[in-house]
Amino acid sequence: MVERRLFVIAGVLILWSGGIVVKLSSLQLIHHREYASKARAKQEVARTIPAPRGSIYDRSGQTLAMSLPSETVIVNPARLPNIDVAADLLERVLHLGNSGLADKLKQAAERGRGYFVVKHSITPEEAASVRALPIDGVEIESHSQRKYPNGPLAAHVLGGVDFAEHGNAGVEQSMEELLHGQPGEELLLTDVKRRGIESRQATEPKPGIPVTLTIDERLQFVAERELAAAVEDRHAASGSVVVMDPSNGDVLALASYPTFDPNDSPTPADDSARENHALGVPFEPGSCFKVITLSAALETTNLTPSTPIDCGLGPITMFGRSLHEAHTYFGVIPMAQVLIHSSNIGAARIGMRVGQQNMFDYVHRFGFGQLTGIPIPGESRGKVRRIKRWSAASVPSISIGQEVSVTTLQLAQAVCVIANGGLLVRPRLILKQGDRSIPPAAPVRVLKPETAFTMRQIMQGVVQPGGTGYPEARLAGYSAAGKTGSAQIFDIVTKRYTHFYNGSFAGMAPLTNPRVVVIATLNGTHGELGYGGRAAAPVFHAVAMEALRILEVPHDLPDNPPVTAIADAQPLDSDLSVPDLDAGPNILQDTDDDDAPGPDAAAGPRVPDFKGMTMRDVLAAAASKGLTVLPRGSGVAKMQDPPPGAVLRQGERIRVQFSR
Amino acid sequence: MATLPAFLTSRPLFKRTAAPRPETAAQPRELRPRRDPYVLRSLPQDHVFFFSKKIDNSRLVREPDPQAKSACWSAIGMASIAVVALACVLVPGAMTTISGYRLESLRAEQRRLVDEHRALDLQEAELLSPERLDRLARAQNLVTPKSDQVFHLDGNKPGSTVAMVKQ
Repeated sequence: MVERRLFVIAGVLILWSGGIVVKLSSLQLIHHREYASKARAKQEVARTIPAPRGSIYDRSGQTLAMSLPSETVIVNPARLPNIDVAADLLERVLHLGNSGLADKLKQAAERGRGYFVVKHSITPEEAASVRALPIDGVEIESHSQRKYPNGPLAAHVLGGVDFAEHGNAGVEQSMEELLHGQPGEELLLTDVKRRGIESRQATEPKPGIPVTLTIDERLQFVAERELAAAVEDRHAASGSVVVMDPSNGDVLALASYPTFDPNDSPTPADDSARENHALGVPFEPGSCFKVITLSAALETTNLTPSTPIDCGLGPITMFGRSLHEAHTYFGVIPMAQVLIHSSNIGAARIGMRVGQQNMFDYVHRFGFGQLTGIPIPGESRGKVRRIKRWSAASVPSISIGQEVSVTTLQLAQAVCVIANGGLLVRPRLILKQGDRSIPPAAPVRVLKPETAFTMRQIMQGVVQPGGTGYPEARLAGYSAAGKTGSAQIFDIVTKRYTHFYNGSFAGMAPLTNPRVVVIATLNGTHGELGYGGRAAAPVFHAVAMEALRILEVPHDLPDNPPVTAIADAQPLDSDLSVPDLDAGPNILQDTDDDDAPGPDAAAGPRVPDFKGMTMRDVLAAAASKGLTVLPRGSGVAKMQDPPPGAVLRQGERIRVQFSR
Repeated sequence: MATLPAFLTSRPLFKRTAAPRPETAAQPRELRPRRDPYVLRSLPQDHVFFFSKKIDNSRLVREPDPQAKSACWSAIGMASIAVVALACVLVPGAMTTISGYRLESLRAEQRRLVDEHRALDLQEAELLSPERLDRLARAQNLVTPKSDQVFHLDGNKPGSTVAMVKQ
């Protein structure tokens, strides 16, 4: 009997433990994956690892664009248990006031909408309050938002991004591959309170690479400010300014007006404001193009700056086209004066001497009719017709800047050729990609150095008394050179030139070793105040002065030179503005250094004796004479280079060693 | 056996061998003994008697057992080893979990700080915006200094000044 009972008990125990084993086997072996995946689904949360879009900086490291994480409160109206209560709570925690949220949510619920945005860009405190709300159907979405801290500054350069943070204009678009980050994903093991215990990366995040532009934020601001003021003052329709460093092609500022704020979503109303007039809207350059004509003449003909050119005493007709001057007729004047007075007839005659093929070649050599390659979408090539389509009147027309259209940027690129000694340097906008510097493109020689030097001297006359850019383009304390342009706007409807102008000024400073090239263009000016010398030259003046100050370029002239003396020394109608030009284009030998100081530079200020002076006294003495001192050490001045009494060359600085 | 409880004696431990009783065979046996109705019934446990017996065990000494002591220490050692082993097994897991909590907390804080840093960078850029600085400068009647009015002094040195120009 007892044994029977024992057997029964043992059997029950065996069955019980067998059941446990079977269940364990089922859990651990047979259905292991299923239950494990269910457990993971409950415990693991897939979380996005943010990879912010790369920032954009100016050349000095100031932020122009950057992305920030942003949170948005969204609601599924269908899941709200009580819309009125939910709306009231949300209005309170999100500081919405009486925004009528309840009505909006009810309307959304009636329409069957499952996604309703309550508020964008909430603060962390608001986010915490919303998360604490015990309401179903309220969620917080995290995303990245592009910010432009300077508002409309450099808007046409930067462009903008769409809702998915993909670039849709400007550098944002052209550098999309670099700037766009690829978010990663990690799986986070959480406890019952959804606190993270352990995470593992499922996908590696790839943050966007920051881009540093050659743009100088301060200079860009000045360019935009002066451009906006000039456009409004002259009642122009639009305008653009380009500032370039001629030595390496760095675009220091690129402004277009009207402008826009890239922080705002684009609307159809601001389509015109989003047009980049500096590189996307070509125009006839007018007299600015005479620089190309004269450069070609100096290189391809035996014309020299002093060669007399018959500009006539009245309108002339060339190949059925009437040519006339703006005001007065100049008769026979030297070729340099043709540019200084901006004689149309003279330039047309010079162009005829250059010839069709040479003119076409030089127009192309200077980069017109081609993309400059600046990484901003929407660049225009301008318009230079193929030589087969040139008529007999094309050469004189192109010689005075008609029948061609150029962009402000192309004009800046061409003037850089004159400024840097004859080399065509492509505009460079990207200074760095991440930590990697982007070298400037290899320059291409377009002009002989002596030709470029001669052209600079001829262009200097434009900003001197008698020139079309005087006195607006004259820079106090700096030598400058430039060319005005006032091109009548062609009406494609009436097929006639109107009385509206594209007023331009293309200039450079200082003359001996130009550090900046500034091109200013106002489109749609009218009247004499709309000419390039009156409308655009003041913009050049303001921007160039600020650029030279920012770049710490030392003065090469007294601030207020005796104007009358210059005028007396250089009679306008009878002599060249630049006497040195008599020697023609071969003033310099091939081996001469174009960047070497000119003859005037030898008569620079003498170096004072700083010995024994304190640093403050040295700086004050140097500043009073417009000299730049590079102090070293502390105490009193012991040594200096150059020595006292030496003549200071253009751009040269005085090194002073201090010791106790 | 007098000290044994009654229930132990209720059932005999040993079976008695019943001797034949000749008289009982002749007389019919009463099934139940006749009870004297005048005798009081015995109380429960009336037949149990207790008495004390003095035992002198003052000379009794427990003999030390060296094996028991070593066994005791062995047990303690084994228990300690078991505890340590258990700790070795469990503590890393627990520490991993605690570290995981801390790690995730630090990661979250790092992300928050990175975001905050970016927000501060943006705020700095907004504050240093040329347009804002220009507006502030104009409000203070400040003008752009001429080039000969700009002194590049070492701002880190004590006593250094910043040159400003007022209209």
